[in-house]
Amino acid sequence: MKNKKKTAKSGLKLFMTILQKDIKSEIRQVNDIFSIILFGVISIFIFSSAYNTINLGGMMPIEIFIIQIWLIIFFTLIFIMIKLFVQENEKGTLDGLTTSPVSNAIILTSKVVFCFILLSLIEFVLLLFSFFISVPSVQALNINEFLFYIMIGIVLPTLDISICGTLVSALSMYSKNKSFVLPLLLFPIILPITSPIISLNIKLLEGELISMVVIEILFLVAHAILMFSILILVSEELLSE
Amino acid sequence: MSNFDTILLECDNISKQYGFFFALNKISFHLDENSILGVIGANGAGKTTLIRILSGLMSPTSGTIVIKGRNYKTDAKHIKQIIGTITDRSFLYEELTIYENLKFYSKLYSIYNKNEFKEKIERYAKKFNLSDWIFEPISNLSTGMKQKVEIIRSLIHNPSILLLDEPFSGLDFTTIKLLIKILTELREKENLTLIIATHKIEVVQEISDTILILKNGKISKFAPKNEIDRSKIESYF
Repeated sequence: MKNKKKTAKSGLKLFMTILQKDIKSEIRQVNDIFSIILFGVISIFIFSSAYNTINLGGMMPIEIFIIQIWLIIFFTLIFIMIKLFVQENEKGTLDGLTTSPVSNAIILTSKVVFCFILLSLIEFVLLLFSFFISVPSVQALNINEFLFYIMIGIVLPTLDISICGTLVSALSMYSKNKSFVLPLLLFPIILPITSPIISLNIKLLEGELISMVVIEILFLVAHAILMFSILILVSEELLSE
Repeated sequence: MSNFDTILLECDNISKQYGFFFALNKISFHLDENSILGVIGANGAGKTTLIRILSGLMSPTSGTIVIKGRNYKTDAKHIKQIIGTITDRSFLYEELTIYENLKFYSKLYSIYNKNEFKEKIERYAKKFNLSDWIFEPISNLSTGMKQKVEIIRSLIHNPSILLLDEPFSGLDFTTIKLLIKILTELREKENLTLIIATHKIEVVQEISDTILILKNGKISKFAPKNEIDRSKIESYF
């Protein structure tokens, strides 16, 4: 029991070490994040302008607003996936991690959390901009409904797609044609969750009760658990050549 | 002749196969503690594959590796703790400073202690003439300096074995001489065992005790340095 506790503690320490290193590296090359955010903001602007041309400046229906946001988030995920393993493998620093006595499961888990943090930061900026640029017809939510929307409508799907992104990034890093393989592998993995994410977001922003979104929540949780289990089960094979 | 007690590393019938191609084909050899093994061979002979397998970057298709009495297959975590690796690709994060890189790796090997680490870094920085650069990002360093940092990085966890794959590539003659001096000193003072894979025959002949010559993934010659005729060395390639 004591041994297990000690192992878990040292595992957590190693996890934090890798995560801190990734965050520090990212802060030092902040231009990469700016370019991803810029891509998102420009996409929102183009999408909103195109919509306003047809609808003469009316408020954007909530359905279109949600589809627009998540479409951009999925594209953003591809940029982040390249940073996770592909770049680290190309630079050679991944060899430094795999030759150290750290289990592959810890390396992969820290990358999932790193992807989640980056994606959350980008989503925060994108949501902020899109509310001003797109002006969606969202009904006023009270503070509890708003927090519930953030936790279930944003955080849960972000965690799920972060796990998927890490899995695909690790799967594709040794392939010769990464730019082709990356989106090709990501597509079937995130396809099942696109509809639940969109429907969940629309229902929550329309102020529907929790009982109306239980199926979507359960589906997303199950998908996240399944993908994370696959990631850990194949961790030894994923990071070895 | 080797004494059973002094054997540090034992490779038995190591093979690495890609489809029908054998990058390594039934390699068997052993290595004593505190010795230097030079691995040479033509391009594609299997030098890098051997180093990558020993460092744990790659698994062999078949065969067993035993280091300090532990089997690599079942005890990889413990074995990685006593191995330091330098390959032709840098393990250093360009945007982080020398200090941050070394701190990161000492934490990865779970040996980080603030005071001891500081003392160690100061000692190594002095030894490698890097004292003024310790808080500079890696991207600001020259190739020779980066290679010195790589050596410090590989030694930060006090390994018993240091694996070096083409450690002299891209370096000028003076830096190579300096690195050879440092490596020889390390072997004497830190009781290290070195395995150096390189195509620089003259370097291998200068510092190795034993030479392993690979040809098409097989051992062409494995003998103490003084038993190999310098003029005939290329005939084994």
